[in-house]
Amino acid sequence: MTNAGSTRAGLGVTFCGAGIALAIVCLASLLIGAGNTGADLALATLLGQSSNEEARFVVYELRLPRMLMGLAAGAALGVAGALLQAVTRNPLAEPGLLGVSAGSGLAVAIAIALGSSATTLRISVAQLGALAGCLCVLAAARTRGVGSDPIRLVLAGAAFSGLLFALTSLLLLLDQRTADEIRFWLVGSIAGRSMDQVTAILPSMALAAVLILLVIRSLAALALGERTAVGLGHRPELVRLTVVVAVALLVGATTAVAGPIAFIGLVVPFAARALAGSDIRRALWLCLPLGPLTVIGADILSRVVVQPSELPLGVLTAMLGAPVLVAVVRANRLPSL
Amino acid sequence: MNTASATRIFSSHWLTAFAITAGILFASHATAAPRTLETAYGEVAVDGQPERVVTLYEGALDTALTAGITPLGTIATRGGTGVAAYLQDKAKDVAIVGTSRELNLEAVVAQQPDLILASPQLSKEQYELLSGLAPVIVPPMAGWKTDNWKQEARLFAKALDREASIEQAIEAVEGRTEQLAESMHSRYAENDRSAYLVRWMPQGALVMSSQLFTTGLLSAAGFEVEDGGLVNGERPHSDLLSLENLSRVDGDWMFLATLNEEGRATLDAARKSSAFSRLDVVQRDRVIPVDGQLWTSASGPLAAQAVLDGIESVIQQ
Repeated sequence: MTNAGSTRAGLGVTFCGAGIALAIVCLASLLIGAGNTGADLALATLLGQSSNEEARFVVYELRLPRMLMGLAAGAALGVAGALLQAVTRNPLAEPGLLGVSAGSGLAVAIAIALGSSATTLRISVAQLGALAGCLCVLAAARTRGVGSDPIRLVLAGAAFSGLLFALTSLLLLLDQRTADEIRFWLVGSIAGRSMDQVTAILPSMALAAVLILLVIRSLAALALGERTAVGLGHRPELVRLTVVVAVALLVGATTAVAGPIAFIGLVVPFAARALAGSDIRRALWLCLPLGPLTVIGADILSRVVVQPSELPLGVLTAMLGAPVLVAVVRANRLPSL
Repeated sequence: MNTASATRIFSSHWLTAFAITAGILFASHATAAPRTLETAYGEVAVDGQPERVVTLYEGALDTALTAGITPLGTIATRGGTGVAAYLQDKAKDVAIVGTSRELNLEAVVAQQPDLILASPQLSKEQYELLSGLAPVIVPPMAGWKTDNWKQEARLFAKALDREASIEQAIEAVEGRTEQLAESMHSRYAENDRSAYLVRWMPQGALVMSSQLFTTGLLSAAGFEVEDGGLVNGERPHSDLLSLENLSRVDGDWMFLATLNEEGRATLDAARKSSAFSRLDVVQRDRVIPVDGQLWTSASGPLAAQAVLDGIESVIQQ
C-alpha cells in the first residue's frame, strides 16, 4: 500500500482518481439534501430545464455555497494536518495538537463573551487566536534554548491546548449566554454559510499556499532528520515557524466560518500518505482532493441521516473518523514519517 | 391526685395561652395547619407558615413572589448571573445559590431554609441531600404540558400556605388570555393565526414545542401554535432543522427567542441568511424577537403576565 503510488505515473493515476471521486461527491452534494428538492429536480435545475423557484434557491443559494465551503475547509484542514505532521514528524499530530484549534476556540469564546454574535463572527478573530495559540506553544517549546526538538513541541502543544480549553470552559461556565451561542459553533458545520463567508477566507488560504510553496523543499529535507537538513543548508527553525503561520492561517480561517471540524486534519493526511508515500511533496498534493472529498462526503451524510433535521458535521466526522482510523491502524503497518 | 389536678390546671393555662397566641398569629392568613403534599418523591409534610424559603426553580421563585413571599435564596436564570429581568425589581435582594445546572449546596445550607421549592427535574441524589435541611417540594409533573405551571404553582402555594392568592393570580391570567383571544379573533382571520416559537442558529432553526408554558399562553391568547410535527413529545424543542426545510416554520407569525438583550440584533443576524429572509413571515414583517429568558426558561403567574404583555402588544399593534 505504501509503495503503490510511489512512482510518478502511479501518483498521477491516484491523483486523477481522487479528483474524479471529488467531482462526483461535489455533484452529489448539489443533488442531495434534507429538503424536498430531490435529485431529479435539482439536476433539472442545474441543467437549466426547470423554472422551479424553490429548487433554484435550494441548489444555488444553499447547496452551492455549502459545497464550496466544504471544498475550502476540507483542503485547508487536510493540508494543515499534513504540514503539522511533517513538521513535528509525528503521524498523530493534527491542528488540535499545536494549540491551533484551542487558540481559535478561546478567541471566539472571548469575542462572543464581549458581545459579538456567532452569526457574524469575524475571521480575523479566530485567526489571531490560532496564531497566538500556536506561537505560545512554540515559545513554550523553546524556553530553555533547545527549541529544535519536535517531541518537546508536541508535549508543549498538548499542555497548552489543555490550558486553553480549560480557559474556554471557564469562560463558558461563567457566562451562560456565551455557552448558548457557542454550543452549535463548537461542533462545526458548513451549512448556512454565505458566499461572502466563503470568499472571505480565500485571501488567507492564498497567503498560506504561497508560504507553503516557499518552504516545501526544506520541509521535505527536514524529514531526513534535523542534522541532515541543516547540513543541506536548510534552516529548521525558520521552516517550522513558516509552517506554523501557514497552519494558523488555514485552520483559523476555516474555524472562524465552520467551527472546529474534528478528525479531518488527522485522517486525511493519513490516507494521503497511505496512497502516495511519505514524501510530503506528494502527500500534500493528494490532501487537496482528499480533504474536500471527506468533508463534503460527511456533509452529505449529515443531511440525510436525520431528515428533516441535520446532524452537525463535526459530530459526524468524529464518529466516522475514529473507526476509520482504528481500522487503518489495525489493518496496515503505519506509513511512517 | 393533687399533683394531677395541678398539672391539668397548668396545662389548660398553657393551652389557653397557646390558643390566643395562635389566634393572633393566624388572624391574617386563616390556616397554617399541618399539610401533606404530593411530590415527585412521595408525600412531604409541611407545618406552619414557612419563613425561610429557598427556591431552586424559576417557576417557584415566580410563584413565591406572586404570593408576596420573598425567598432568601434562588437560582440564576438560564443564560444569566442573576434572576430573570422581569423579576429584577421584586427579587433584587435574593441571594443566588447556583444555576439550574449546578447548585451551590453550601450556599443553600447557609440560608438555613425551612422550605425548599425545587424544579420537577431535581435529581434523586440532590433531593436526598437537600431534604436533610428542610422539606423539599418537587412537583410531580413530568414532561412538557402547557398547564403544568398552574399545577406547580398550586403545589408551591399549598406549601407556602398562600393558596387563595395564587388561585386568584391564576384566574387573573386565565381571564386576561380569554380577553386577548377575543381581540385576536376579532382582528385576525382564522387562516391568519398560525405561529411558531423558534430559536435561530446560522445553520438552521430550533422549533420550540407547542406544549411549553409560553406556547401554551400563545394558544390560549388565540394564536394557533404549531411545531411542524418536528418536536418529540419528551423534549422542549426540535433538532436543528435544515435550512432547506425552513418553510416548515413559515406560518403567519414567528416568535424568535434570543438569550441576549439585543433581540433586534439577533433578528438582523438571522436576516443575513437568505434562507431566513425569503420566508413569507419575514417578508410580511411578522417576526417578533422575544426575551429567551422569559419565553423559554421562566414560568409562573408573574411570568405569564409579562409574556401576555408582549402578546398583547403584538395583537394590538
